Amino acid sequence: MSDIKGPSDLEKEVLKQKLCVACGACMGLCAYFGTFQGKVVMLDSCKLIQGRCYAFCPRTTTDMEKLRLEFFDKRDFLPEIGPFRGLYITRASDKSIRTKSQHGGSTTALVELAMKEGLIDSAIMTCSNGGLNPSGMLVSKPEEVRRCSGSSFQIPPSLMILNQALKENKYKKIGVIGTPCKTLAAYKTRSKPFAENDHHADNIAMVFGLFCGWGLDWVGLEKVIEGKTPPEKVKHIDVLPSKYQILEVKTRNGRIEVPLDEIYPIVRESCRYCTDMTAEFSDISIGGARSSKGWDFDRGWNQVIVRTRKGEELLKIAREKRILEFREIESENFDKLKKASRNKKKNATQNILKKTGNGNNLLYLDPEDPGLKGLLHSAI
Amino acid sequence: MSIVNLDAPGRTVLMMGNEATARGALEAGVMVATAYPGTPSSEIIGSLAEVAKEREIYVEWSVNEKVALEVAAAASMAGLRAITAMKQNGLNVACDYLFTLGLTGVKGGIVLVVCDDPASHSSSNEEDTRAFARMGDFPLLEPTTFQEAKDMTIYALELSEELRTVVILRGVTRISHARGNVKLGELPKDHRKPYFDTSSPFTYSPMVQKHSLLHEKLNKAKERFETSPFNSYEGPEKPDLMVIASGTGIFYSREAVTLMGLEDQVGILKLGTTWPLPDRFLGKHLARTQKIMFVEEVDPFLESNVKEVWADLAPILEIGPRTFYGKRSGHIPIVGELTTDRVIEGLKKALDEVYEPCDPNYSRRAKEVTKEFVSDRALGFCPGCPHRASYWAIKNALKLDDREGFLTPDIGCYALARTASGFFLSKTGGAMGSGTGLACGFGKLQEFGFDQSVISVCGDSTFFHAVMPALVNAQYNKSNFVMCILDNSATAMTGFQPHPGVGTSAMGDPAPILDIEAICRAMGAKVEVKDPFDLKDTTETITRLFQDREGVKVLILKRKCALLKAKGEKPPYKIHIALENCVGQDCGCNQLCTRIFRCPGIIWDTETKKAKVDEVICVGCGVCTDICPNSAIIKEET
Repeated sequence: MSDIKGPSDLEKEVLKQKLCVACGACMGLCAYFGTFQGKVVMLDSCKLIQGRCYAFCPRTTTDMEKLRLEFFDKRDFLPEIGPFRGLYITRASDKSIRTKSQHGGSTTALVELAMKEGLIDSAIMTCSNGGLNPSGMLVSKPEEVRRCSGSSFQIPPSLMILNQALKENKYKKIGVIGTPCKTLAAYKTRSKPFAENDHHADNIAMVFGLFCGWGLDWVGLEKVIEGKTPPEKVKHIDVLPSKYQILEVKTRNGRIEVPLDEIYPIVRESCRYCTDMTAEFSDISIGGARSSKGWDFDRGWNQVIVRTRKGEELLKIAREKRILEFREIESENFDKLKKASRNKKKNATQNILKKTGNGNNLLYLDPEDPGLKGLLHSAI
Repeated sequence: MSIVNLDAPGRTVLMMGNEATARGALEAGVMVATAYPGTPSSEIIGSLAEVAKEREIYVEWSVNEKVALEVAAAASMAGLRAITAMKQNGLNVACDYLFTLGLTGVKGGIVLVVCDDPASHSSSNEEDTRAFARMGDFPLLEPTTFQEAKDMTIYALELSEELRTVVILRGVTRISHARGNVKLGELPKDHRKPYFDTSSPFTYSPMVQKHSLLHEKLNKAKERFETSPFNSYEGPEKPDLMVIASGTGIFYSREAVTLMGLEDQVGILKLGTTWPLPDRFLGKHLARTQKIMFVEEVDPFLESNVKEVWADLAPILEIGPRTFYGKRSGHIPIVGELTTDRVIEGLKKALDEVYEPCDPNYSRRAKEVTKEFVSDRALGFCPGCPHRASYWAIKNALKLDDREGFLTPDIGCYALARTASGFFLSKTGGAMGSGTGLACGFGKLQEFGFDQSVISVCGDSTFFHAVMPALVNAQYNKSNFVMCILDNSATAMTGFQPHPGVGTSAMGDPAPILDIEAICRAMGAKVEVKDPFDLKDTTETITRLFQDREGVKVLILKRKCALLKAKGEKPPYKIHIALENCVGQDCGCNQLCTRIFRCPGIIWDTETKKAKVDEVICVGCGVCTDICPNSAIIKEET
């Protein structure tokens, strides 16, 4: 509680330090934060010494271990990829979901199912809008879930919608779907840091995480696309497996390959300080399949990590009701995943140390965090 | 029935200094009166406008002071008497033509009345315009009493007609806006017929000879001034110290001398004709005593000029060395407005006198007690003012744009962008039109790597006065900035005088409306018009305009001034606070409405610790409803 500060500190420590991931966890609580072209800005300061904005932000000092112990089974924790109860390769059985989805459509199928089954009564999602200019949205009908499906490499501050929904206190079983930064913020919210104001955080029922390597600068991506094709024609954007080194853009007319060399300069700076590839704080996390069998085999399939009993329950229903198709999983898959995840942690800690120049200052991370075990030594 | 027009010669009435000047103009037969509104001069032409039709004269609110002077000069060249009035900044605008007018000469009497604003209560600088008289070679008169404000105006017009040059009458705020007794004279019955004699043109060449001629006129004025009733001495024959003062300096000096009981030691030489100085008259009085103290505002004008006279005359009249006290010696402050206390301090030092107005302990306690009764109040926008809404949108847009953008405002009510009421947005200050002029400059720095958003702000009246050329400059030189025109259908700050955009003339007749939007478009600028009360749309528009880095983008934020609206319409809404929604000082708000938005219509209730509507002040504009993050401010249509 004494670690929690206020908005002026949030601006100083996160917004002005280029740490802000624009998740929106600080927005929708008051009138002092706004957003434009993918950035979150503070319009004025409320001047309070402590605030929910600071407490919920995933880039202020976070005791990850404490959060893990509160919401997950201690025995399930793996330092490489977080709380772990199972890994699956799946895709949505319904082909119409897969024509629009980023990979296998498993997220869309699972969220839709969770809503139909009453596990959640609403969902905070990122609406793809075709691939450019995605927006946060609250979905309360299962048939609306599919509308959000699709690519999203710009990160809209969708948690603003979550905060507004919690304030309203109308939806009591909210599902939050987001990138690792957003899911961490959702759990910090769930931990109810203020005794006198719980922000109705218990209304968050389930969290769905999305694997993420990095997000792209809002205006930067627009400019890159504009230089190659009319933005309104974009249907799908994807980063292919690393051996191809391309960003694939599918348009209504065809397919464009953008060399990753053009993309690396527009990776958001704040993403370089993120240690979480698999959204370690969630009930269930979904990403693109990456096996050793190659892209032709993996394209159109998802990897799914289950982290809690609730996540297990949902996946069980999905299997029974044939909402998802399942594939065999090889042991190499698991190793490959752990290695990729650990790589992101290594890069992030290196970048943070370069930024602070001080081995004891890991910004929002705790050097003692078991999740960073073995990394700091190799980073220095 | 206006007091300025009262047909009661011989009656003494209570009049404002500006009204006395206007009355003097009428008594002297002025037929053309022009001005641009400028505090503290506005009531001169304002009161003449009210009686213009009755007196069958022409009164005009000109678009700026240069044109005002030109219009008055034309009347004078056609043989009519004319008056033009302005504040110090106005004279700065008019002086280009003024100096040429000195060389071309005039025909009918013309008086240029300038009202300075010491301490800058309502100006963008502190300036002493008497220097213009010396610089331009014009006779200068300074009234001390309200009677003199009238009588000197009449004399100025007579002198101007005799010498065929402009005469300057210079006052300050305390003469313009205070009131005193004035004995009225006769109002003329006849009017002259204007005629421009083409065989006697008003040209300025041959230049050097005309300049010489101007000096001859000045010398003639000097001769008149040697015996002027406006100059006089009061006090002992041989005082220990003689105060030389003009204008308000006389009253402050008299009061100081009386309070200190120095009537037998200190004499006061009153000067009403302060350029050119009557040196024989001066020499006579300079001989009285060795100690001379100057009391005037703002600059050491008399101080320097009298020293020159003394330097020339001393050997001739055998006046010995003098000790001069004043602004140069530090006895009277060289900046700020005069007060009796300042003169008292000066006299104390000069005469080594001990004087306390009252017991220092009592003085201290009195100050503490009175402080409790009157709280410090900052300048701020009226409740319902559209500028508050405009600045709210601009403030948020600058933050959303996130490039350390800034605002360059102009002169008007909206200059309060420098205060808390204007969210401290103002980052530059300037004269009329300078906000846009400066933005033109910032807008050309892109090629050197400058990428900060710049938004200039001006008003509708300011637009016509000086901003139009700046917009031409911006278009022609392709300068990149947002130009925001706050169109509230008024020249509000100076008292709601009409301007070319509102459809009425000074004399109350319908006038063509010059459409600001059409003018900007005609210049080829990109133009958008929005309602500042639509905060969301206005904020989004400005944020979007900041992303366009090519050329000037004109944004007109159009909504009537709140005071003007209140005169004609009932409040649109009744506002109250839904206490159960008010988050108050907790996380989620902390008094956004009273701490940052600051409309005086909302106050903080320290007992309930919630916001509260001050029903006396609130004008029911409804903007606050949109800024509350918790829908705690409710508006109901009336």
